[in-house]
Amino acid sequence: MSKFKKDGSRPMPGVNTSSLPDIVFMLLFFFMVATTSKENDPTVKVESPVGTKTTELTPYKQRSEVDFLYLGEPRNPMRAADFKMGYALSLDNVVQPTVDGLYTTNAVAQWKKDKFDQKPSRMTAPIEAVITCFKADRNAPSGLIFDIRKELQDINALTIAYAVRDNGNI
Amino acid sequence: MAKREIEEINAGSMADIAFLLLIFFLVTTTMDKDQAYIRNIPKKVEVSKPVDVEKRNILAIKANNQNQLMVRDMIFEDPNKISDFVLEFYKTNEKKNDPTNNFPMYSRISMSAIDQNIAAIEAEIEQMEEAGMKADIVNFKYNQLDEWEKKKRALKLYGDNELPEIHVQANIRIEVQQATAYSIFAKMQSEIEEAIFELRNGECERLFGMPYSVLKRRFDQDKKAEDQAMMDLLEILYPARIIEVTPKK
Repeated sequence: MSKFKKDGSRPMPGVNTSSLPDIVFMLLFFFMVATTSKENDPTVKVESPVGTKTTELTPYKQRSEVDFLYLGEPRNPMRAADFKMGYALSLDNVVQPTVDGLYTTNAVAQWKKDKFDQKPSRMTAPIEAVITCFKADRNAPSGLIFDIRKELQDINALTIAYAVRDNGNI
Repeated sequence: MAKREIEEINAGSMADIAFLLLIFFLVTTTMDKDQAYIRNIPKKVEVSKPVDVEKRNILAIKANNQNQLMVRDMIFEDPNKISDFVLEFYKTNEKKNDPTNNFPMYSRISMSAIDQNIAAIEAEIEQMEEAGMKADIVNFKYNQLDEWEKKKRALKLYGDNELPEIHVQANIRIEVQQATAYSIFAKMQSEIEEAIFELRNGECERLFGMPYSVLKRRFDQDKKAEDQAMMDLLEILYPARIIEVTPKK
């Protein structure tokens, strides 16, 4: 009864790794299909609050009918004191000098108009229908959102969206 | 000279290359999708005097700078209760109007009344076009006509003699102050959305025997006219009229 006899003399065969590239490519393709590219890494810290029954923005993103603006504490803590209530507005990775100066500089309106002019020509949606999506930190003051809203109203960019994290709806 | 054997290409580093690509994609992409509540900012118009709205038609949800909550002058703690207040607001008078309570009234409109209205507006449009009125005013009338046509389709689909409708002025107000945390603001939006979803879902199950989420997804994908009519009916039954009040300085 020596079925499991140890045979010390035979050398261990090497593992065949010829299918390793196939496996890795499979993983690669999975990730390429299942993920979306990161919107730019904002220069402000944003931790979204949670919510339910949201609308998914992916179809709008594919048609580039949505612009994101970020509202949060600046990543550089030394600069926090420069801003109204310590929160800064980041438009395409450019932190606006102060949110207080919002009305005098019309930063948001200017940014939104520029964005709209640069959209690809296949996009037919009027500026009223192009979504401006607020990605605000959970502790950001709501007053700032209304300041920005006011500016968007002035240039007729009337559709907005409030981003939240939706855990139940994926 | 002897024929030289073509050497096989060494594919041993293929895995390394693929790994490199894989890691690149892992780093530069993200799994989470952007989820949001889509809202409309009202168009800027000059109004001399705001329209008076009866108190019973307003559901004001307020939060102050200290993030304390108040619904209809009642202070409460748990933000998860907002959806219950919204449900109460819609449901109290839905089956039977009771003038003594403080909730919006429902009106019931019959098919013949809808037809009368459509005829009246059509006649008006004809007159206006003959008189050469401004395009804005005529367009406004056309929009009104669309609304009524929508109601007509909705009532047909509803299958009853009369279409119940909440008061036109019934609205939900979100009133926050300058320093109210965004999470509270978002929570209000979430709770309102949840309540309206629940109402529409109940009616969708009763009338069409399927969940509202299924109908909505199907409509988003196919954009069929029959789904559009169903969605319109549910929106007429439970309209989401949300007003976000700009905080005072």
